[in-house]
Amino acid sequence: MITNDKKSVAFKTLGCRLNQYETDALVTDFSNAGYELVDYNASPDVVIINTCTVTNQSDTKSRSVISQSARKAKNAVVVVTGCMANNFKEKLESQENITFVVENNRKSSILSLIDAHFSGEIVHPDQLPLDVFRYQPVHKSLHTRSAVKIQDGCDNFCTFCIIPMVRGMAASRPVADVLESVRKTVENGFREIVITGVNIGRYEDGTVRFEELLAMILEVPGDFRVRISSLEPDGFGDDFVKLFSHPKLMPHLHLCLQSGSDKTLLRMRRMYDVAQFRKTVTKFRAVYPHFNFTTDIIVGFPGETDEEFQQTLDAIKEFNFSHIHTFKYSVRKGTRAERLENHLPEKIKTERSLKVRDLSVENKRHYFETFIGQTQDVLIEKISQGTVSGYGEHYIPVHFKLSGAQKNMIKKVKLTGIVGQDDEMYLMGELVD
Amino acid sequence: MMSLMKPDMQMDVSFYKVEEIRHLTDETFSLKLPKARFAFKAGQHISLGIVGGNQSREYSIYSGENDENLELLIKEVDNGYFTPRLRKLKAGSMVEVHGPFGKFGMEPELAASGKFVFIASGTGIAPFRSIVHTYPDIDYRIIHGVRYSKEAYDREEYAGDRYTLCTSRDKGGDYNGRLTGYLKTCKFAPETQFDLCGNSNMIFDALEILKGKGFDRDQIHCEVYF
Repeated sequence: MITNDKKSVAFKTLGCRLNQYETDALVTDFSNAGYELVDYNASPDVVIINTCTVTNQSDTKSRSVISQSARKAKNAVVVVTGCMANNFKEKLESQENITFVVENNRKSSILSLIDAHFSGEIVHPDQLPLDVFRYQPVHKSLHTRSAVKIQDGCDNFCTFCIIPMVRGMAASRPVADVLESVRKTVENGFREIVITGVNIGRYEDGTVRFEELLAMILEVPGDFRVRISSLEPDGFGDDFVKLFSHPKLMPHLHLCLQSGSDKTLLRMRRMYDVAQFRKTVTKFRAVYPHFNFTTDIIVGFPGETDEEFQQTLDAIKEFNFSHIHTFKYSVRKGTRAERLENHLPEKIKTERSLKVRDLSVENKRHYFETFIGQTQDVLIEKISQGTVSGYGEHYIPVHFKLSGAQKNMIKKVKLTGIVGQDDEMYLMGELVD
Repeated sequence: MMSLMKPDMQMDVSFYKVEEIRHLTDETFSLKLPKARFAFKAGQHISLGIVGGNQSREYSIYSGENDENLELLIKEVDNGYFTPRLRKLKAGSMVEVHGPFGKFGMEPELAASGKFVFIASGTGIAPFRSIVHTYPDIDYRIIHGVRYSKEAYDREEYAGDRYTLCTSRDKGGDYNGRLTGYLKTCKFAPETQFDLCGNSNMIFDALEILKGKGFDRDQIHCEVYF
């Protein structure tokens, strides 16, 4: 524990929702230990950078944030963790502007490493315990919603993906720990819980699989709602669809299609084909017509022909995704896709990426239009000069006027129109008494 | 201040000494290692590296769940980086094995009652040998597509009426031509479960043929090789 002056800590997070959750859990740790949470421009004593390495762009951003942090906070202890810390460990350890490089599976013990450092003890990060689930329930957070981690790692070995190398093999958090974490997170005041992990659909603790776990989470007492983070589109039964009739479970799934071409999906070593994906979407929309599907698409995967790319555009139209994370394929060293033939030029990837983006915006507008005149329960996340914003049940962004608003309130809002363009598009609404 | 554990020092659990290399063709060989130190399900794969090297590759397990040796079937890739190095290994060389991984393979509860057709190209036969070693009494057929008849790896281990060899570049097969050509001529019982393992083009074509024959996608299980 810190005994002298109060130390300050700044966090910078890149990448996925799991990383955001792990940062939030570290924020809780440091806050409970008496550290002051500050912006990383404000000369903190400690800077913790939670990096990402999923694409080349993520590497570039992570490197840039590390350099900026080290430059701005010259006397700070700089800790680099996250997936890049696993992927480029030795290289990062050789950089003089980084004090500690902590791998993902030891990330949850960073507080003890920093405490030891300020106490004058010499502790190497490799001496920290190996535990990917050691995180405390989030109390102090950088976000209005809190994630709960149920799973880590993946052993699907999709040919493009570096995650099995940097997050390790699939591991599931014990049911009792998950439920306790949900209970405590709700007790800590969070109104929305996001179930997160690397491949949460593969959750398995004894006989309890993802669907059963989700059903148990929904039965935890309290006034809160549940959202599911990114999910792989394989292996859904009818029981999973039925769960969404529970008032706590929000009608949105980020279901990662990656490509609309069966040939490309096989080269990616995905576990489903387009027909199976269609079956899932159809099943959901037959019961919940407004159900929101968002997705990830990789364009320019090695060997992707014009015809295969057109199939992806057709699938995007057909499934009416309201938002798409588009990734231009980038080589990850050590993956099988690195060794595939017919890598495509950057120019083609960029052209295809723009086409997907345009279609995504068009879809978004169409989807938003179906909500005009409808009401949504909106969780307030931002407040600015009398206008508040947040997300409705379907994960659509909503702005409305409200005096005396506070973050984390849920308000019923009637949606009146669409404002803005592209990624800035949102629905405007009026408070319903 | 919490007490800090010592770094984990169990790396050697994943190290295996090569016992034997069986040369099956000029390009293909099996690597026989000591019995697996982990439990696996027939059909799963492992990650294989050479101790001291910096790369690894995934291979389906070629041996059965209870066999005395962990065995892998490997084809040397022309101008490849990894497989030529594997080929140079000798008895006594050290390799590193991580796993098992994957969901492909036999569900034990289905083994006794199911009807299975295993469709493999080249070394894609590996998971099916593992399944047959583990469940010798299952009701199965293997359709194995290769270029030359000499690539019918360990075919004598399968009952003659259960194994069909399709050769695309010589006349030594039970069927002369691509396995997809043979597949088009086949009739299967409606309840058949299909397991496909091999390159992505073969799997794509075979999937289309089976779907064209009216089989549901949920009856077809795939493991793509690269």
